[in-house]
Amino acid sequence: MVNPSLALMIAAVFAVGAAALFWPERGLYWRWAYALRASERVLSEDALKYLFDCEYRQLTGTLHGVTGALGISEDRATGLLGRLQELELVESSAGKYLLTGEGRSQALQIIRIHRLLEHHFSEDTGMDAAAWHREADRLEHRTSPEETEAMAARLGHPRFDPHGDPIPTASGEMRSVATVPLADLGPGDEGLVAHIEDEPAVIYKELLAADLHIGMQLRVLETAPDMIRLMVDSKEHTFSRVVADNLSVSTLLEGESLQEPFETLSALNPGESATVVAISAACRGAERRRLMDLGLLPGTEVCAELQGPGGDPTGYRIRGAVIALRRLQAERIQVRRHTVPIDGGATA
Amino acid sequence: MSLPSSESCAACPVHNLANLRKLGVDMENWDYVVALAGNPNTGKSTVFNALTGLRQHTGNWPGKTVTRAEGGFHAGDDDYKLVDLPGTYSLLATSFDEEIARDFILFGQPDVTVVVVDATRLERNLNLALQVLEITDRVVVCLNLMDEAKRSGLDVDCRRLARDLGVPVVPTSARYGEGLDELLQAIAEVASGSFVGKPKRGGGHSTALDLAVTELGDKIKEGFPMLPNTQWVALRLLDGDERISQAVLTGELIHLQEELAKSSADDQGPADQADNTVVEAEDKLFSAVNEMGAGILEVASELRWKVGPDFHQVLMEGIYTEAARLADRAVTGANERRRFDLDRAIDRLVTSRTLGIPLMLALLTLVFWLTIAGANVPSAMLATLLIDNLYVWLREGAMNLGIPWWISGLLIDGMYLGTAWVVSVMLPPMAIFFPMFTLLEDFGYLPRVAFNLDRVHERVGAHGKQALTAVMGFGCNAAGIIATRIIDSPRERLIAIITNNFSLCNGRWPTQILIASIFVGALAPAYLSGLVSALAVVTVAVFGIFLSFGTSWLLSRTILRGEVSTFHLELPPYRPPRVLQTIYTSLIDRTIYVLWRAIVFALPAGAVIWLVSNINIAGISVAEHVINWLNPMGLFFGLSGVILLAYLVAIPANEIVVPTILMLIVLVNPVAGFGEGAGIMFELDDVSSTATVLQAGGFTLLMAINLMLFSLVHNPCSTTIYTIYKETGSAKWTAVASLLPVAMGFALCFLVAQVWRLVASYG
Repeated sequence: MVNPSLALMIAAVFAVGAAALFWPERGLYWRWAYALRASERVLSEDALKYLFDCEYRQLTGTLHGVTGALGISEDRATGLLGRLQELELVESSAGKYLLTGEGRSQALQIIRIHRLLEHHFSEDTGMDAAAWHREADRLEHRTSPEETEAMAARLGHPRFDPHGDPIPTASGEMRSVATVPLADLGPGDEGLVAHIEDEPAVIYKELLAADLHIGMQLRVLETAPDMIRLMVDSKEHTFSRVVADNLSVSTLLEGESLQEPFETLSALNPGESATVVAISAACRGAERRRLMDLGLLPGTEVCAELQGPGGDPTGYRIRGAVIALRRLQAERIQVRRHTVPIDGGATA
Repeated sequence: MSLPSSESCAACPVHNLANLRKLGVDMENWDYVVALAGNPNTGKSTVFNALTGLRQHTGNWPGKTVTRAEGGFHAGDDDYKLVDLPGTYSLLATSFDEEIARDFILFGQPDVTVVVVDATRLERNLNLALQVLEITDRVVVCLNLMDEAKRSGLDVDCRRLARDLGVPVVPTSARYGEGLDELLQAIAEVASGSFVGKPKRGGGHSTALDLAVTELGDKIKEGFPMLPNTQWVALRLLDGDERISQAVLTGELIHLQEELAKSSADDQGPADQADNTVVEAEDKLFSAVNEMGAGILEVASELRWKVGPDFHQVLMEGIYTEAARLADRAVTGANERRRFDLDRAIDRLVTSRTLGIPLMLALLTLVFWLTIAGANVPSAMLATLLIDNLYVWLREGAMNLGIPWWISGLLIDGMYLGTAWVVSVMLPPMAIFFPMFTLLEDFGYLPRVAFNLDRVHERVGAHGKQALTAVMGFGCNAAGIIATRIIDSPRERLIAIITNNFSLCNGRWPTQILIASIFVGALAPAYLSGLVSALAVVTVAVFGIFLSFGTSWLLSRTILRGEVSTFHLELPPYRPPRVLQTIYTSLIDRTIYVLWRAIVFALPAGAVIWLVSNINIAGISVAEHVINWLNPMGLFFGLSGVILLAYLVAIPANEIVVPTILMLIVLVNPVAGFGEGAGIMFELDDVSSTATVLQAGGFTLLMAINLMLFSLVHNPCSTTIYTIYKETGSAKWTAVASLLPVAMGFALCFLVAQVWRLVASYG
């Protein structure tokens, strides 16, 4: 019979090894497979995307920039750019690299696939917002034009991705949308969150942690040289300038105004009732459709009826049916509380 | 027929002959065409059948695999052709069905579109009606299932609804033939033009949207002044609707007007149609239209950048909100208040912090106890009937008929016996458990259980309803898998399916109870042994529950990470359970169905067991060969070759594990006075005899414990595997659900065995 302690030790080593290799996303196996994928075509497409991005932001595309953006050596980058020039996708002058017409349209195609994928992730899957960009980066090189067009048709030919970036049309058109950087706004200015920049990742994660999403209603409360205080969907946030630089806002048209401050459904205790104002812009895809199907639409009356033993979920009466929702979901539903006199006294 | 003037003559049909022909509808011999639209499950087919009687036939929509029913009826002086459109929830053309329905109404231009609506679900169904009304004025709303509405205490104000919608609303109960005359009358009035619908349209958008729609609408009117619903076309173009964009470009939309004018030209006779000038004019028209269409699409494309990312959503929500508003105005519920208060009172008791969970546990314990206690006698009776009597009789009969031993062996000793075993063990508990469970469900209590337990399920990434499917799994795992249909969130459903196996199903209880009594109960003093063995079994079952939570957590963090997840739980009103009906349906739906599947799998299992024990190679049976070969591996895991082989052949049914083990032991080392023969499973009447045989087979306490654990954590039985495949439709998830528990089982047995031996070597 095998020595038990030996058997246990071998098993333990095996388990640790398997975890180190195959742990989702961070395991060594996945990293190795990812590095392997950095083939020539993938790098070319990434380079074209980078140069287009420079053009869009009116920066110059240099060798150094390409090296940094792609994470490759300078030699490799030089070779790559050389080949792109041979293919007449890129031209160079005085150390600056520019896209030719053909290069630009190919870059637009990649960007189209990338942003469509992000839209698909946000609408159709339960993927974390922080993972959209990375996954889109991975899949954009493997999605064929037919698959792309099928996906676009299924999604209804969206014009914007979940960050607010425009998605180039199939014919290569893209319009930059009129938005105002948050930095340009002062106290009292209102608008809708129109764009959330997803790079650098660290700042993006902070914005995600604050549960920000495009379409949310925003009002500036206070500005200072190093920070800005905002009200977004009736929740207060304070951001440093560096972080705030990643947000852009679309201003309201004449005659439009933000809906007044509201609470979320989760703030209701059993016995309290409210009217639904809207479902938060952060709620998308299947989850949003489900809530709408249940009848949570602007103008619907809702009343909290009972709470589970652990405080969660809570049963709400919606159009005559009692539906239980979890706290996380109830926080996505914006309501205006009813003020009803209870026991003869009026509540403010 | 005299020349119709190009001014609309009220009684003339407006349908588009050419397009109808393209859609496969031939209007020869018919005066008017009526389209029948509606949500699924609204009784649309009942309405169709009621109107057409036997005058109907089915075919296919051209170019698609969707079937279509077509029929006809006669009313007044006219012949009406009725085309049944696919049941859809909306017309936004995101699926083939919706595309077909929408195209028919838009391009076929039926003289009347009847929208069938479920009176008990008005706010849901009005979505479709509102969308149809955006395309055409010639609509009749058929408010069906009025009998169910009345039964639920709902009162629908049809006249108010008709005023709000601007079109006739006819209440019907098609199942009972009520309201159909009024429906026919309304159809005739709309078709002949004596009723003109005036639906209220549009409005209620944000300023940015209104600006865009107006701008695009103006541009469309510029090109196609005769188009009646420019606002709707503008909205569709801004929404990126491919079909409509195409129709604008090719001029299909404006041809609707041209067709009307041309139909008068058609009647002038074939000679004129050969006129070149007509053809030339047509060509010029085509290219002019094309240019115009392209211009419109360009403007639309530019505007799409301005309407913002949420345009589609805003449109959808606008329709939903309007439907809800109209439904609220039209429907009032009677008796709502009284029943509601009673329900809430019960709920407060059942979900209270102090009483909720204890009450739940008490009820569940009662259910289990009744199942176990109640099933004993019937199980024994069935065993006596099928095994002690019928089996013996069959064997004697076979001998008398002179059937060769190997045929009778295979058929009777193998296949029949195995099946008889499964039936006698499985049937009684299920026949008690399922009806009780269904009664609780009928009463309305079960969703409250899910409500109470949801918090702990949320923590591990599962749905509260998993508690219900897991409890169902204690009856039978296959039934538990089918029960997961109540979880409509895809991710949570998969988790419930994969972890259902950790619910100790009925078929495994005998194994657990027997082994616990022999090996664990024996460790305690005689007067406590019963209690101790019961506790052991309960411990194993509870361990299974913990495993299912742990596995749920792991699955939701790893392989099921990106799947879509939506939660909601409806708490329906309590209602007195319909006892007889429940017992009937639960017998048919659950018990007999699962039993039938089990028999299908048990027959081959019995055959394999018999064959394996009776086919000899080099003087020893195949079974013995396999046992010897598997023994080293078995012992390593704290099991044995006999146990492994027994589990291998008992994949189809857990019930036969113990009888198979006993048979195999006796096969390999004959024990005096026991055993019925090679390949013939058996059970012993008292625990001590069984203990004798097992111990003779080399069973140790470690083996017994690992057997109990492995019985809990091993692959699902083949019935369950088959059910998983049927429910998920995916080979991948079926493989995961089958292999994951086995891998976990071996890992668990390995750990227990090594730790046990380690501790023993220090003891």
